[in-house]
Amino acid sequence: MHTDALLHLNLNRRGNVSRRNFLQSAALGIAGSSILTQFQLNAAELKKEGRSCILVWLAGAPSQMETWDPKPGTPNGGETKKISTQTPGIEIAHYWPKIASVMNDIALVRSMTGKEAAHERGTYHLHTGHRMMGIERFPHFGSVVAQEIGDPQSDIPNFVSIGQTLSSGFLGVQVAPFIINRPGQLPANVFNNTADSRQKRRLALLSQQEKDFADAGAASLVKEQSKLYQKAHSMMKSPRLKAFKFEGEPQAMQEAYGKSQLGQGLLVARRLVEVGVPFVEVRSGGWDMHNSVFKNMERRAPDVDQGLSQLLIDLKQRGLLEKTLVICMGEFGRTPKINARPPVPGRDHWVRNFNLLMAGAGIKGGQAIGKTDANGQEIVDTPVQVDDLFRSMCKAMQINADMELHTPIGRPVKLVESGEVIKGLFS
Amino acid sequence: MLKRGQFHYHCSHLLILFITLICLILVPISLEAAQKKKGKNKTPALNLPPLKTQEQKMQLLGYIRQTMPTHRIGRRISFSSDDLDKALELELGQNTQRFAKQIDDETFVRRVYLDLTGNLPTPETIKTFISSRSSNKRSNLIDELLETEAYARKWARYWTSVIFYDSEANKNRISPKALEDWLAEQFNKGAPWDYITVMLISATPKRNKKVRNDYGQKYGPNNFVLACENKSTELASQTARIFMGISIKCAECHDHPFDNWKREQFHELAAFFHPYTYKMPDKDDPTVKTVVKPRFLLGEKPYEKMKSDARRVSIAAYLAYNPKNYWFARAYVNRIWSELIGDGFYDVDSLGPDSDVIHKPVVNRIAANFRYKDFDPKWLFRLIMNSKVYQREMQTISSQSELFTSVRPSRLRPDVVAASVKKLVGEDKKLHKEIMQVFDMNPSLPQGALEGSIQQALMMMNHTTLQSKLSQSELKKQLMKLSDQELVDALYLNVLARHATTEEVERNLSYLKESQSRAEAVDDLIWVLVNSTEFRTKR
Repeated sequence: MHTDALLHLNLNRRGNVSRRNFLQSAALGIAGSSILTQFQLNAAELKKEGRSCILVWLAGAPSQMETWDPKPGTPNGGETKKISTQTPGIEIAHYWPKIASVMNDIALVRSMTGKEAAHERGTYHLHTGHRMMGIERFPHFGSVVAQEIGDPQSDIPNFVSIGQTLSSGFLGVQVAPFIINRPGQLPANVFNNTADSRQKRRLALLSQQEKDFADAGAASLVKEQSKLYQKAHSMMKSPRLKAFKFEGEPQAMQEAYGKSQLGQGLLVARRLVEVGVPFVEVRSGGWDMHNSVFKNMERRAPDVDQGLSQLLIDLKQRGLLEKTLVICMGEFGRTPKINARPPVPGRDHWVRNFNLLMAGAGIKGGQAIGKTDANGQEIVDTPVQVDDLFRSMCKAMQINADMELHTPIGRPVKLVESGEVIKGLFS
Repeated sequence: MLKRGQFHYHCSHLLILFITLICLILVPISLEAAQKKKGKNKTPALNLPPLKTQEQKMQLLGYIRQTMPTHRIGRRISFSSDDLDKALELELGQNTQRFAKQIDDETFVRRVYLDLTGNLPTPETIKTFISSRSSNKRSNLIDELLETEAYARKWARYWTSVIFYDSEANKNRISPKALEDWLAEQFNKGAPWDYITVMLISATPKRNKKVRNDYGQKYGPNNFVLACENKSTELASQTARIFMGISIKCAECHDHPFDNWKREQFHELAAFFHPYTYKMPDKDDPTVKTVVKPRFLLGEKPYEKMKSDARRVSIAAYLAYNPKNYWFARAYVNRIWSELIGDGFYDVDSLGPDSDVIHKPVVNRIAANFRYKDFDPKWLFRLIMNSKVYQREMQTISSQSELFTSVRPSRLRPDVVAASVKKLVGEDKKLHKEIMQVFDMNPSLPQGALEGSIQQALMMMNHTTLQSKLSQSELKKQLMKLSDQELVDALYLNVLARHATTEEVERNLSYLKESQSRAEAVDDLIWVLVNSTEFRTKR
């Protein structure tokens, strides 16, 4: 029966069983079984070529003029100065010396243009690739990645977020983000000291109890719950759990990433990617700088500067950068004109032009794509839409951007509606 | 019960002033037209009595309320639970064939307890209810529970969560607890929903600079305004969201993509909440600003010289008493219906175009009658809970056409899960806090959009304190004293608030028999029920 079950599973082109197919073929008992263990090994073997993505989310929307597109000496430039980088010809804001030193691995996109200037809606657009409309909830890109290239039987979640984030929308709990709030610690309640045989008995009884409740009319809730319990159970036994901690990590490496929450979060992200988690989001808050944008930049940028540059160095040294997409962005940009808000002026919401940083997974480093005018008011070269960005992310992750997702009522929607891969982004 | 129309006026000219004001509020357009004829003459100062205290505001509102046509109509109209069932059957048409069966007494008592008190009924309550032969026992139980403190507390908690869930206000400047206590007091004495709303919207919290972190948050009703950080834009979008069930937030930045609300309308509403001259930022360049005059969503304009606190009172009046503003009553009806039935006639706070409302004639009729019944929350609970719709068995609902042919199994809210756990293991503040965090959910999202998490599963499976407390609990001690048969029955009654079925009894009995240690087996049985989906679900 073991081999039969394996033979009947359809492998997708990356050697993974598609989620739906797995659900149909393998009976989803709550307890893990030997079929699953055997299958897990195979999948891990087949998945070697799989890509990963680390999204560094700067919540609140960082200013493009204080990050990768400074305009010193112009009326809009403010106090921000520019510095040269490892790549001749590319200059960025002076808050980012360490990023400047790894520019050869980075592609900047200076000509993003979006449509949503409110935080919630912008966050949604830049996480799902869709604008918030109607009641349909589109999945986080991380959930799409988890579904498409994650191992459906992975013993730890295929999508981990360090900090709260969006949900998996209509893709459901199977690919929902697993959220941890403090990096460097094991997820809460992940251990129990019940003997295996006893735990098995408990779970068997539970699954009968659940079946009755499903029959009484709660089928959808029970189905969801069973999936969650199955996942929780395999996670409890996972040897990969240690990736959440810093076990075996040299002290020097922890310091290299910086002692900040974000730095430590990025180190956890690298460890998770190393053990095969295909999508990790790490959040940094406090980028909504309506007031005193320059002073706030001095305060906020160093942690990201240190952690993010170290992440790129570290991934590269381990040979992981080639297949790991690193992307750092926020929900939109900020007004080129400095506002008149007393006591200390800042910048407000602005969606017409903003920027972001990408690296790894085949992306050509040492370049800045797109250009804005001298005052930072208009894009003068290569405008990039959110759809273009998502197409490019799909390409980096080797996911078909034209694939159809199905909403709960079966309505097919394209993963990415339109757009083109950003020109020149890949080498 | 809070009495209406018993406002005492100190002297008659005050009454005349009120009437003047009401005319100004309710007939703003003709007034404006009259003023235009006068040419450039300055608007005379409005000689209003002070409206500084809540009592004065209530006096004004009480008067406006009495002049409402609906108040008089209400005395002649009745709408019963039977009427509701008939109206819905008419709407559902062919789908009535798919109606789920009516629930048995045992399911009813659990459902009603969870909905009205947020607690499970005790085994004694269940037994007494089932054995009662009274033909009115279901409606009597509803009446009885509506008079409990627990009812008031449960719904106060719900609304506090609705108001604070997405609030970004500084934690030192708000007091969700004060709001909850005040709301509990109101629900307890049966305060009408319009009164509660008006108190919340017209509150004008004052900062006491002499006391650290005193922003007036200790006075419960101030906290809606404080949750909105007293920002006019936030007050506008939250008022529309919570009290009208409509989403106009995105109109802050651009015309609503699929609805009638325009960007100007949003800012006119924000201007209404603004103490001074309100300026709308330009869509493209926020540094460019234009002055916007206050106007309520249906076009109501306040008297120009009205002071900001009086203006707040008039917003509340337009909201609750303009008969054309059917959104107000309907938003409340839809929320309560949603909580009780598991699905709303539309997503509670994000109504786009009105055409998205499902079975509109039904919800509009309930809403109109809610208004006739003086916005009495308990009337609405009685109406819905005594109906056949509410008393149907649960079913997984996957298509819109199935809505209201059965009740949707609903996830219990974090405080209800915490209360169920507390009932088993006793008080534990740390555990309570952890459950509240792990089971946290947005009270304004529809049930269909909520999801569980691995963290929840891990907590219920493994939490050290929870497991050891269950194993040393009073319940366990009691169970250990019983025969196997009695044990199983008592277990189900205590944890799931129902009797075990024959199959369940057999299954659990054989588990007990096959186990080497009876104490361990009992722990296992408790563990299984606490981890069951049913434990965290309203069936």
